Amino acid sequence: MKISKKIGVVLIVLVLLTVFALPTFAAGQKDGGKPYIAIVSKGEQHDFWQQVKLGAKDAAAKYAVDMTFEGPASESDVQDQVDMLNSAMAKNPVAIALAALDTNSVMDQLQATKDKGIPVIGFDSGVPNAPAGSIYANAATNNFNAAGVAAEKMFDVIKSKIEAATAAKPVTIVVMNQDAAGESLLSRGKGFRDTMVDLIISKTGLSAGDIKVMGNTAYIDSKNPTSGDKVAIYMVVPASASMTDTTAAATAVLNKVKSESVLGVFCSNEATVKGLLAATNDGADLPGKYPGLVVIGFDAGAAQKGAVRNQYFLGSITQDPYRIGYLALELAYKAYKGEKVEDVDTGAKFYDYTNMDNDDIKGLLYD
Amino acid sequence: MKTLNNKSSFIVKLQEVGLQRVLAPAALVLLYIFFGIFGRNFFSYDTLVNILDSSYYIGFIAIGVTFVIITGGIDLSVGTVMMAAAIIGGTAYKSWAWPMWASLLLILGVGVAFGYINGLLVSRLKLPPFIATLGTMMISMGVGSIVANVRSATFPTRASDDGWFKSIFKLINDNGFSVPTGALVLFGVAVIAWIILTKTKMGRYIFAIGSNKEAARLSGVNVQRWEMMAYVIAGATAGIGGIAFAAVYTTVMPAQGQGFELYAIAGAVIGGTSLSGGIGSVFGTLIGVYIMSVLRAGLPSMDLQAHYQTFFTGVVVIGAVLLDIYRNDKASEVKIQKGEKVSTNNEKTKLS
Repeated sequence: MKISKKIGVVLIVLVLLTVFALPTFAAGQKDGGKPYIAIVSKGEQHDFWQQVKLGAKDAAAKYAVDMTFEGPASESDVQDQVDMLNSAMAKNPVAIALAALDTNSVMDQLQATKDKGIPVIGFDSGVPNAPAGSIYANAATNNFNAAGVAAEKMFDVIKSKIEAATAAKPVTIVVMNQDAAGESLLSRGKGFRDTMVDLIISKTGLSAGDIKVMGNTAYIDSKNPTSGDKVAIYMVVPASASMTDTTAAATAVLNKVKSESVLGVFCSNEATVKGLLAATNDGADLPGKYPGLVVIGFDAGAAQKGAVRNQYFLGSITQDPYRIGYLALELAYKAYKGEKVEDVDTGAKFYDYTNMDNDDIKGLLYD
Repeated sequence: MKTLNNKSSFIVKLQEVGLQRVLAPAALVLLYIFFGIFGRNFFSYDTLVNILDSSYYIGFIAIGVTFVIITGGIDLSVGTVMMAAAIIGGTAYKSWAWPMWASLLLILGVGVAFGYINGLLVSRLKLPPFIATLGTMMISMGVGSIVANVRSATFPTRASDDGWFKSIFKLINDNGFSVPTGALVLFGVAVIAWIILTKTKMGRYIFAIGSNKEAARLSGVNVQRWEMMAYVIAGATAGIGGIAFAAVYTTVMPAQGQGFELYAIAGAVIGGTSLSGGIGSVFGTLIGVYIMSVLRAGLPSMDLQAHYQTFFTGVVVIGAVLLDIYRNDKASEVKIQKGEKVSTNNEKTKLS
């Protein structure tokens, strides 16, 4: 009898907990009357996604819409994301913003939103290869422009050395690309390359005939100069994206720093940054062994942030997750209102040891 | 005094019918109504389809694991076996250019094979089920990744030629109207499992083994054989679950499935299956799975994120087990009272 009484008490507590906890959790989140926009992201766990969420929240407040933001616990949890998208669709949203982990998994859903006329906005990497007409617009980093910023920053520092280059003493600028397949990385490599070529032609005494773009053929366009003998832009792609291969590729580049007077290295993503850091004792070898070498990275991560803080790197490029979130919701709202929407570049920012702790940058740098 | 007796005998009767049998479905209905009132657009066909859709893969393995739990064992490998089978099938289709039907059969085959291995380890080699299936859980996860070369396996989408298999689990007509045919498959499998469990020799032996293994052996039951069959059934349902997963979610990532087995076990427990063996029912398990599914669809409809589901599933599991203990406790109480009654009667007769 005693045991059953105890159990009875526990049961009542559990029931009460459930009954009271649910509405409390839900309190304030439900807001009838406002149009509802669902955002399904790739995750929530990283600071990056928290910034996206913050941006979306602010935009939702501005446009007075009801917004939910959710993503699976890990970027491998495709089925969780599909379920989340299903739940979001069942709630009759006026628009959906989606960063798909896997486009194939959400094909049926995208077809359904298209049939129902619910606008879908892609954000971050968006929804590549989605059925035509289902994605109204994308809010994503323009990788070409983002890498162009890196080229400008690097050019400012090495300009005098480029001007001093001769056929007898040519200089080299290296771009480390993780692979030659991903659209975003291809855009970054090309963005850096083209911006650098333009800067050299317009701001130094050199002409296109003095420049030579070499290396991985996927990164060389027919319009690029390939026969110059004063400045070489070397597009490097490691054997694979694995840590060992990116490190080996970085070591090979570093070995040429003296013989081919390498002025600068741009690593176009975190993997190549990590490879370079592994080859240089977390960057500590850079100032001593390779004085004057200008390194610029991409994105963040603890190791890269350390290298920037210690001035081993000139700086790095970071994407702007807050704007990604803000613009994703704004585009979704505009699409719902029937306005014409088109792809938006959410921008990128350059950070170095001087500004990386500023409020507008700090939030963009994840560990 | 008389009315009190009548009342208690009514409760006793209710308990004999099986309080839990009534409670679990009642909880399911209550939850559905609760979310219907408080959720956003929950009482809709779309939501119902979502609830059914997201229940398949857990539903199938939960049915299988019910068999194993009734024998008094446990199968921790069902989740990863399901995902390993799915990713191997996907690799066969994508990389080895197998036809679709053969890839689907392979998924089923891999599931059965792992079930067979589990059965061998437990029934013949006498490994404790927890350890044996913990091992195969890791093995299956590794095998899936090795075969797939740690790449995700993508099944064909609905629009492509080999997308027909998706219609087994969800039929979408030209108007975009979807019919959750997978629910019929799940019910079909459940009915077959129910027949095996309640109408055949195999089912009776599985219950007998779970109630008292030694007694079953002494009564001439081939314990090794029937215990093994329980694991094979769990493997087969994991295979069917793998096909369902591939059909609903299209892409299978490597090294997934850990944690699914716990949802399956939770479903069985909510449905009244006793972890000490000998008690359990397939339809109870199905109710348990749907309770979790309703939570999964219902909490987001209240704008609560999906991970609240884990929290509330935990509450439901503890509640279900407590109810079970409560029921058993009550049942034993009644026995004592009966005994007292008898003794007082004896005293009376003595007195007279």
